[in-house]
Amino acid sequence: MTERTPVLVLGLGNVVCTDDGAGIAAVHTLIREYEFPEGVVVVDGGTLGLSLLPLVDSADQVILVDAIAADGPPGTQVRIEGEEVAPAVYERLSPHQIGVADLLAGASLLDRYPDRVVILGVVPDSIELGLERTPAVQASIPELVERVVEELRSLGYRPVPSTESRDEGHGSTAHVARTLGV
Amino acid sequence: MTHIVVDPVTRIEGHLRIEAEIEGGQVSDAWSSSTMFRGIEIILQGRDPRDAWAFTQRICGVCTTVHAIASIRAVEDAIGAKPPPNARILRNLIIASQCIQDHVIHFYHLHALDWVDIVSALEADPKETAALAQSISDWGKSSATYFKGIQDRVKGLVERGQLGPFANAYWGHSAYKLPPAANLMAVAHYLEALEWQREFIKMHAILGGKNPHLQSFLVGGMATPVDPDKQASLNIHTIAEFKKLIAGAQEFVSKVYIPDLLAVASFYKDWAGYGAGVGNYMVYGEYPLDDEAKPELYIKPGIIRARDISKVEEFDASKITEQITHSWYNYEGGEEKALHPSEGETKPNYTGPEPPFERLDTAKKYSWLKSPRYDGVPMEVGPLSRMLVNYVRGHEQVQGLVNHVLKTLGVGPEALFSTLGRVAARGIETQLLVDKIGDWVDELADNMGKGELRIHDNSKWEPETWPADAMGAGFHEAPRGSLGHWVHVKDAKIERYQCVVPSTWNAGPRDSGDAPGPYEAALVGTPVADPEQPIEILRTVHSFDPCMACGVHVVEPGGREITRVKAR
Repeated sequence: MTERTPVLVLGLGNVVCTDDGAGIAAVHTLIREYEFPEGVVVVDGGTLGLSLLPLVDSADQVILVDAIAADGPPGTQVRIEGEEVAPAVYERLSPHQIGVADLLAGASLLDRYPDRVVILGVVPDSIELGLERTPAVQASIPELVERVVEELRSLGYRPVPSTESRDEGHGSTAHVARTLGV
Repeated sequence: MTHIVVDPVTRIEGHLRIEAEIEGGQVSDAWSSSTMFRGIEIILQGRDPRDAWAFTQRICGVCTTVHAIASIRAVEDAIGAKPPPNARILRNLIIASQCIQDHVIHFYHLHALDWVDIVSALEADPKETAALAQSISDWGKSSATYFKGIQDRVKGLVERGQLGPFANAYWGHSAYKLPPAANLMAVAHYLEALEWQREFIKMHAILGGKNPHLQSFLVGGMATPVDPDKQASLNIHTIAEFKKLIAGAQEFVSKVYIPDLLAVASFYKDWAGYGAGVGNYMVYGEYPLDDEAKPELYIKPGIIRARDISKVEEFDASKITEQITHSWYNYEGGEEKALHPSEGETKPNYTGPEPPFERLDTAKKYSWLKSPRYDGVPMEVGPLSRMLVNYVRGHEQVQGLVNHVLKTLGVGPEALFSTLGRVAARGIETQLLVDKIGDWVDELADNMGKGELRIHDNSKWEPETWPADAMGAGFHEAPRGSLGHWVHVKDAKIERYQCVVPSTWNAGPRDSGDAPGPYEAALVGTPVADPEQPIEILRTVHSFDPCMACGVHVVEPGGREITRVKAR
């Protein structure tokens, strides 16, 4: 039997497509700046789609962090939950929407859809090729990070600011994240 | 005449759009276009070549490992780093397990629903399905009760409107030929494959840590320590775990995938007559078996021209060029140039219509893909090319598997030049790899036993050890076909970088001589029973394994859209 993950925080998006990497940038900030209590797993899922199935279908609660096309100017904070999640991943996550839709559908087909899925994100300005977020979206990332932390607190998990610095060796997650600028 | 537009929706690796003319119930002409610019080459200029793989890994969300592999090979070639034997073995394990998982997902989750009718499966008699399943394989899950359970589950999804990936297809289309019993069997195996692949890809989790993006790549070797006795290393327990996963893969592929492939193909033998394509096949080769400068490769390189399987030419990388006559780029030296990737340029020049548009002007530039050519001619890349070249070169295992498939279906080797041949070759390659991958695990275990634990060549790590000016090329057989990265390193920085990806070879536009690319050529002659539901076009395009799902728009002559159908 697969080991269960009580809470999975999963960043989604493409870091080489400007604002589409907002969720990934938020997740790497979380990994760098916080210590997470037992039971919380924080992962950069990129645009891997179905390959993330083992992570998602073994989680009880999932917080997806992503760029979301919604009303409001770039950088607007968005929260999607419950029955709105399925249509949102089909219509509003970009540019990797098919992969995420397949991912959630796969968990559902295997009868292992998480108990609860929440999407936290920001409205993108541009998803053109580029490593940097547009100013409005970049400025919204600290608040996005804070909202993920709040969400975890509401579930009874208390991340605390990190005191030690992370391993920066070539090939380490932290090194790769810094290289990619997230 | 009807004009059809097939315009996919995902931007993971770039939108793919097909426009086709239908005349007399079949495709008379077709154009393949990528409608999204990708310019990772521009992002890489001026960066540390040792970091390039981390960027290229993010080009494509579906197959991240492949661009990392091609990139580290290109940089190693440029700076002269020599990865030790364990790095070669670990890379072979990563490449082969990626390919196995990718092919299974393609067959069951991206391509099967072009051939399998879910709605028909609901009408099947589970007893008949059980009899069929037991007649083709001794796979355990084959009782009438089991299939009844699957049928009830799918019925439940249909009734609740939760079809998910099963929604938006062409259920009931006259082109579906499987009897209900076979459809139900395929649906059951669709679900089993979903479950199986999530287990099997633990190979990557073990090889690359818990991160879903493998972080274990390193120019000059790998970053994952190998030590039989250490907890945080690939150790004796890892070897046992690999063996278990590989045994499971072998069982699944030989008892489920291959029997399903043969059963489905037997109902669609007419598709051995469609989708032939350009008839030229190219393979770079993959899976180095030793650590020489020019190692023996398990899947051999080569070129086959004009469907002539009496001989294979040696592959020569200097004969690769890219043209831009029909691509939205400029070349400094002029439009008509054909540039080798080592001197390739990425200078976007969009001249197409303002989106959203109905039709592309295919007489002019019409794609973000360039037209790669080998010795001036278009080449198909992918599993079919790999299996054909190795079949003709006398690869014993490939010949055995190909002959078995041809004999079972009662067709000759010429049947391979087709849509069905592409589907079959992918299955054959999967069997080939699940039969081989265990050897590399044994080799790794042997090295551990001998105390050979090196994973990295440090001698070329520091930029001071590099030539001031160096060119390198990295070749890789990705699941979808031949992938090449070319890098020019100058004063320890990337001066120029070019990727020529499998989908560019297969989905690229016409060249300066108006010769169509492989997708374009393969679609001509494809029957289309109902232009509003062009499932036959999807069969041929999907047989190449494009990276993305498709949405389909159908437009009347003159360009007015008459209907819009999303295909998964």
